[in-house]
Formats: sequence, structure tokens, C-alpha cells
Amino acid sequence: MDPSGIFPTSYRADRRLVRTRWQAVCLALFLVVMLAMPYLVSGRIIAVLNMMLISAVIAVGLQICTGYAGQINLGQAAFMGVGAYTASILASKTGLTFLLTIPLAGFAAALFGFLFGLTATRIKGFYLALTTLAAQFIFHFAVLNLPSSWLGGSNGVTVPAAEIFGLRFVTETQQFYMNLAVAAIMIAGAFGIIRSRFGRAFIAVRDDDVAAGIMGINVAATKANAFLIGAFYAGVGGALWAYMIRFVGVDQFTLFHSIFFVAMIIVGGMGSIVGALVGVFVIRTIQEVIATVGPNIADSVSFLGGDIVFAGMNVILGGVIALFMILEPKGVMHRWNILKSSYRIWPFPY
Amino acid sequence: MTTNGGIVTSPLAVRSATLKFGGVTALDDVSITVNDDELLAIIGPNGAGKTSLLNVTAGFYRPQKGRVELSGQDVTGLRVDQIARRGLARTFQGTHLFAGQTVVENIMIGRHMLMKSNVIQAFFQFGPVMREESEHREAAEEIIDFLEIEAIRNRPVGTLGYGLRKRVDLGRALAQEPSILLMDEPMAGMNSEEKEDLARFIFDVREARKIPVVLVEHDMGVVMDLADRIVVLDFGRVIAEGTPEEIQKNPAVIKAYLG
Repeated sequence: MDPSGIFPTSYRADRRLVRTRWQAVCLALFLVVMLAMPYLVSGRIIAVLNMMLISAVIAVGLQICTGYAGQINLGQAAFMGVGAYTASILASKTGLTFLLTIPLAGFAAALFGFLFGLTATRIKGFYLALTTLAAQFIFHFAVLNLPSSWLGGSNGVTVPAAEIFGLRFVTETQQFYMNLAVAAIMIAGAFGIIRSRFGRAFIAVRDDDVAAGIMGINVAATKANAFLIGAFYAGVGGALWAYMIRFVGVDQFTLFHSIFFVAMIIVGGMGSIVGALVGVFVIRTIQEVIATVGPNIADSVSFLGGDIVFAGMNVILGGVIALFMILEPKGVMHRWNILKSSYRIWPFPY
Repeated sequence: MTTNGGIVTSPLAVRSATLKFGGVTALDDVSITVNDDELLAIIGPNGAGKTSLLNVTAGFYRPQKGRVELSGQDVTGLRVDQIARRGLARTFQGTHLFAGQTVVENIMIGRHMLMKSNVIQAFFQFGPVMREESEHREAAEEIIDFLEIEAIRNRPVGTLGYGLRKRVDLGRALAQEPSILLMDEPMAGMNSEEKEDLARFIFDVREARKIPVVLVEHDMGVVMDLADRIVVLDFGRVIAEGTPEEIQKNPAVIKAYLG
């Protein structure tokens, strides 16, 4: 709903995302601050922001698949892994430029995701969750058991730096700009997809697949598409990850990571692209705080021992997520929307 | 009726459909033919097979025997969405709207199958996609105007009353630009004022779109007023067929209803 005094005068204006001058100013300011980040904060925070940007791409993909199309997906980290390995192998063995390896990583992951999307055409809910779980295990099994000359086996693969016109993306600041550019394109694209006929079909299939069918929407193809798009995002995120860490190993893409991506979209709010971004920010910040505070506590309370402190930190992280589920299961965005609408109608209750 | 290469075809024909659920015969050798631009009402006591007949027609159930034809084309065994794309739209008993979405969004979902943009165009939101969205939005607004629901176009459907929801359901079906419209008990659960409104819209739809409407309905007053022709089902069989006057006098119908 628009603030009073704002009236769209064309259908094109009515589907704009940025609807008021104030919103445009805020968005521009945000982008300027993001671009200026390396000059404003220390390298440690840039490293954290890099993690957030990559997670944002992957979480937005999961949001499309799970939040919009309603297809539970516990294999997002495996899809990310497929992307990361594709980019690594292509970059290290063929020397392809990252401009090609990143989209190719997306397509490889999309193909892998599509295979699991096919199962979604026949089953739903918990059963689907189980088959996507299989993606995790198939991925691990394949990487560890295929000849190590193919995927590096348990040794992993070393990735050359992304390079264009002799400029190598090696420092965190350089990688930050690369991640920022890719994330911006992918997030803008996600807004495009969800506002198009595909986004509407996803929502239709999620809310009522019987009605979706009678609307002429091919329910099975739409579900498979949701997996395909979600996995494409994971693949692109995986490629960025490979270029940032410069090394990929199978234990970077476990079920544990998949569950964190699910936690991100739940904390942020299901069915909202901005929600996915908020969720990434919240979860990654908590993780980072815990990773920073943990060693300090271990030092100062030495009688507890490092193991207990670190285990305790994970318990706190899990506890925070659980608390979110209890207090606001619909996510931060839902809370924000309530706040916005009550502000708009103030001082009336409804 | 239109002639197609010498063969007379009708917008919708069900030819000796038999549908069984285990030992229960829901439809037993049922044949109906819908003519161009007519309102055909299907009536019958509870459990007579009216909704089963609609579900067979729309592709939700596949009949064990018999065929369903849309404009002379055999659509038996096709998926629901394939049949919808061949021009069949239906509304539901109760509604199957997307409750969290606004009225406009619900109607735009009805336009989905008429839109052609692909995922890559949607991702980049360039020219054709924007134009297509605007065109279909305009069509959706025409339907909103037609059904007099302008004031609620941006309200989530879940917050609307039952009568308005029925109207949105009709709007969504019309958004598909169907060549035949099936309505499953549209009047159920409505008060007389809402019934009158909806009856007027059904009239208007026929006037504006010139499409045949198949109406499954319990409310005899509505059926006798609206229908051009009535088919009566009982225990999965067609027991009578004719104009409202003929049906009212038909002894088999009176027997089925009064026992």
C-alpha cells in the first residue's frame, strides 16, 4: 500500500518496486554506502560482508524455491557445492574466465537441482525434504568416491584467482566488489522473477495446487522450475565462494550449512526477497559475534576449557534461532509489515 | 453448434462417461452436449454425480469409459492445465482463491497461461516483459470493472466476505478468456441479495463473452430462472433433459426429488 498522496498513473508505475522519492533516496544511499564500505570499515568486516553477500545470493535462491514456490529444500548447500566445484574445475583445468565460469556453475547446479525438482512433482512436504536431503549425500558420495583426478576427492581443489584484463581479484576488497556486483544482479533478477508470471505461478502452486492447475499452470513443471532457479542461485553463490576461499572441499557444503540457509529465510520471513536478505544479515551477524566473543571467553574463563565454550556458543546460536521461531515464526519482515501498517493508520487501531 | 468439415461440433461434449470409485459408480454412461451460447444447468439430489461430472470434464478425474471433447477435440486423459489451456475454465464450490494475494494478483494469476515471457526475460525485466505485464494488467482491470470490484482490488482476498470472494473467483476464471465456463454451485452459502448479484453477473458474462456456461446448482429458483436447458442426474445417470418447463413437469424428476 502506498503512502497517502502517491497515486500510480500507469500500470507500469503501479508495479514499480521503488515507489516514492524517499525510497529512491534510501536505496541510492544504501548503494553508495555499500560501494564505499572498504574505505569505511576494517578488513575484518569486509571479510564478513563478503560472506554475507555470498550467503545472500544463495538464500535468495532458497527463498524462491521454498518461500515462494513452497518446495522444502534441504539440499541448498549441495547445490552450492556443485556450483563451487564446477567453477573450480573449469577455472583450474581450462582457465576459463570467471565471467563464464560463474554462470556455468549456476547452470550446472541448476541441472543438479532440477533432478531433485523432478521428485517434487510427485511428493511434497516431509517426503520432499527427505529426497532433497539425498542431494546432500549424493553430492558428498560423488565427490569423495569419484577418481580424485576428477574432483580432487577428499583433498579438495585449489582455485586460481578470478582475473580480468590482468586484474586479479585476490584481496578481500577486490573480491568484495566482485561479490557486490554479482549479488546486486542476482537480487535484482530475483525481484524480476517474482513479479513476473513465474513468481505468480510459484505462489499459486504454493497456496493451492488444485486451483493453480485449473488456471492453466503446469504444476509439475512449475515445481521443477522452482528447484532449477533456486539451485541456479546456489550455484552462482558457490562459484563466488570458490573464488573467495580459493579452495573447495567437500566439508564446506554440508547438511549443517543447508539448515542454516533454511534458518536464514525463516528468521527473515518466508515469501519475501528482502526477508531473505534480513535473515542473512541476522544469522551471519550472530555467527560472527559468537566467533569473535568465543575465544575471548575461552581465554578469560580458562577453567571451563575451550571445547566447552565453543560448544556452548553453538548452543547459543541454535537458541537464538529457536527463540526467533517461538517469538516470531513468520520472520522479521512480518514484524516490520505490522509496524509499517500500524504507523500508517496511527492514531487509529485499524 | 458450429460445423467443422461437415461434422457438427459443440463447445463441450461428454460421451458416455463412466466413472467408478472402487465399487461406487459415480457416473454411469453419462452423455451431455453443450450448445453454443447456452446456459446448461445440471441438477440432481445430493450424491447424484454432478460434481463428479464437472471433475471428469475439467480433467481432475479420468473416466474409466467414455470421452470428453472440447470443440470436437478429444481431451480425455489430458492434465488439468492442458484442458484449461484448451479453453475450459471453472469456478469451485466454496472458493479456491489464493487467500494471501490481492484481488488484482488473483486475477493476474488467471492470465498466466496467456502470457508468454520466459524466465530470462523475467530476470532482466526488459521491454517485452514490461509491456506484456501492462497489457495483461489492463485486461485484468477490465474484468475488475466488469464485476464492480474496483474498490477492493488491492485487498487480500482472505479479508473479503464470501459473496465478494465468489465474484473474484468468477473474475479469475474470466481472466483465462475461456471458451466455456463451468460453475460448481456458485450460489451455495449466499444470501438472496448476493445470489441476485451473482445471477446478474452470470447474465452479463453470457451477454459480453457469448460463451456457454455449465451451472451445477441446488437452488431451484436460480436454475429455473437462468437456465436455457437442464440436465437432471440421479445415481450417476441422466434421468431427464429439457427446458425448465419440461423438467418441472417431468415425472421421473419429481420422483427423484420427492422419493
